[in-house]
Amino acid sequence: PADARDAVQARVRSAPAPVTDVAKLCVCDLLVAQCDANCCCDPDCSAEDFSLFTSCSVPVVTGDSQLCSQKAAVYSLDVEANPPERIFKLIDQVNPSIFCIHATNYKQALYLKSPEIPTPENFDQLLAKFGGATFSAEPDTWNLDTDAQNPPEANETYRYEYGAPVQTEDAFLRLPSPVVSSWCSDANPAGFLVNQATKCIRSVSVEKCDSIQALSMLFYINSSILAVSCVFQVNITVQSIIFQSLNGTRTLLNGSDVLRLPMVLDELCINAVLRVNYHITHTDTGEIIEAAAAFVLGAISKEALSIEQSFEISFTQENAQPVPLSGNPGYAVGLPVRAGFWPQGYPFPAAFLFAALALSSNKHSQLTILQSTSNQDCLAAQGARAPVLFGYNMISGCKLRITAAMKCQPLAQTLLDVLKGQSFPEYVASFGNSQAQDVLDWVPITQLHISEQMISNTLQSSCQIPVSLGIEVKWTKYGSLVNPQARIVNVTATVTTTTLKQLPSGRERIIPITSSVVFTDISSPAEPGYKAWPTINIKLPFDFFYPFV
Amino acid sequence: NNSSQLSSLPLQILLYVNGIYYIFYFLATLAMIIYKSQVFSYPDDFLAPDLAVLFLMAILEVPRLYLGFKGNLTEAEAPLGLSLGLTVGSVVLCVYLLLWQTYVLWADVLLNAVLLAAYGLESGLKVTAIAAFVS
Repeated sequence: PADARDAVQARVRSAPAPVTDVAKLCVCDLLVAQCDANCCCDPDCSAEDFSLFTSCSVPVVTGDSQLCSQKAAVYSLDVEANPPERIFKLIDQVNPSIFCIHATNYKQALYLKSPEIPTPENFDQLLAKFGGATFSAEPDTWNLDTDAQNPPEANETYRYEYGAPVQTEDAFLRLPSPVVSSWCSDANPAGFLVNQATKCIRSVSVEKCDSIQALSMLFYINSSILAVSCVFQVNITVQSIIFQSLNGTRTLLNGSDVLRLPMVLDELCINAVLRVNYHITHTDTGEIIEAAAAFVLGAISKEALSIEQSFEISFTQENAQPVPLSGNPGYAVGLPVRAGFWPQGYPFPAAFLFAALALSSNKHSQLTILQSTSNQDCLAAQGARAPVLFGYNMISGCKLRITAAMKCQPLAQTLLDVLKGQSFPEYVASFGNSQAQDVLDWVPITQLHISEQMISNTLQSSCQIPVSLGIEVKWTKYGSLVNPQARIVNVTATVTTTTLKQLPSGRERIIPITSSVVFTDISSPAEPGYKAWPTINIKLPFDFFYPFV
Repeated sequence: NNSSQLSSLPLQILLYVNGIYYIFYFLATLAMIIYKSQVFSYPDDFLAPDLAVLFLMAILEVPRLYLGFKGNLTEAEAPLGLSLGLTVGSVVLCVYLLLWQTYVLWADVLLNAVLLAAYGLESGLKVTAIAAFVS
């Protein structure tokens, strides 16, 4: 009946009254109907429980200590008695300060405010008051207009800010990423100016591969990106499509305006998306003007139950050629050491202009070191190189099997290529942000050749093969003591060669080939520097003594 | 007391001391209200009446003391009577600050009690002086 419902509603409308009697207040009473250990104020504890306690975790329960006189409940354990018993005393605590509160006529002063219980009548007003991202701290003043609320759709009418989700016409630009486990979740929005690369696993089945949305190119370029406001939209263009076959070989497709959808062919699912790279171009005011996606499509075999997809997004500003910095200004530990060439045959300033282009577009002009592979044969592992990261000493190597039939001179050249890589740079950037135009910011790499058998008098004309490459990078701390910046001062690449002795036919020998990078700190100790006293430069105008001079 | 001089010397002394004490009282109460607004939760709806009462009391005090001095020295009962009336108003405001302020600190109680005692003594002396002047 209606009155019972009203009664229930009336009961629900008010929260339970706060407990203010210190004798009934117990902070350590956490377990319901059970005795808490060492909790002397717990009403569920009996005298036997008290005799087992060692100390009282809550010795005093008082109200606000700023009141002039208030009741306090004091709990203590009398350990002298046998068995130990709890002592409870209700005392009057006096605050001796002259600024203690004698009386207060403001009810909420010393108590936390009981929140309003939402009911169908006041729900809208409570939502208006507390539903936004912020609300006023003053409990008694609020206004009904929704200036506290800031609907997220309003943001896009101005401009994108760093980290703001990139909006598309229906939702957000998705960058599938692993959430709790490695499985792909499509709910990760891409943040503006946040360069991300993610890898995740998606479960597939070859029979239904044309119906799985996430394997089709359309899923990733379907909705167009909102440039700034609802009106202006940017379509995602397909930049390039690369096909990857089952054994890993990749071929670039000519003419990338054709949409390739996944389909089942000969028990394989072809045209499945394995990798998407988004490139977004934006202006300096936060508007997106271009969006392109590069795909790697592959084939899934019948036995595969899941594939790994990787996604990347990068943002570039229009009319700017980004050069990734390795530190600003000093090198940051873990970032690649920047290096480059000085093309011969060009006049001095233009040379570095070309070098700038070479650096910005060619990622392989980094300083790289041979990367050890699981197959340790030097001649088989061609091309696997790891970038030299600042501050990380590295050593790598491979094993060379020398047979009698090997000719020395080609072998020496091959080994030099293996050690140094295809394009070993000539200059290394002194600072992490060195520009190619600044000549003095680049340090030349000194190349040394050391022969292992310098002592013995074998002729230099006998063949020498390089067996190790050691790169020593000397760096110093530069700048202020509080914030020192790393600066590369000297780079020396030492190639050690040894004589190749002729083997009798049928025998073979295994020589280890090593390459290493060592970073040495040659900073000199800090010197205190004092600011120069300001000097007063007074100069009289030249016609100051006009009539007389 | 000389029969030729009806002005009350104790009243004069008390008025003079009251004036000095009131300056101290006003500054101390204002400082304590500022302290309370920083340390405790003191919303504007409660701060405004307390400050209004304090300033009203200060505004009343000046004519009250002036009329008291003038009345006592010129031996005129009209200004003294008017001062007595203003004293009643000041007593009411002082009782408000003693009992119905938002936060009443122990120092507030002391200051207001002293001021009330001074007002009470002053009122008694003024009544005696008026009786002396009239007769």
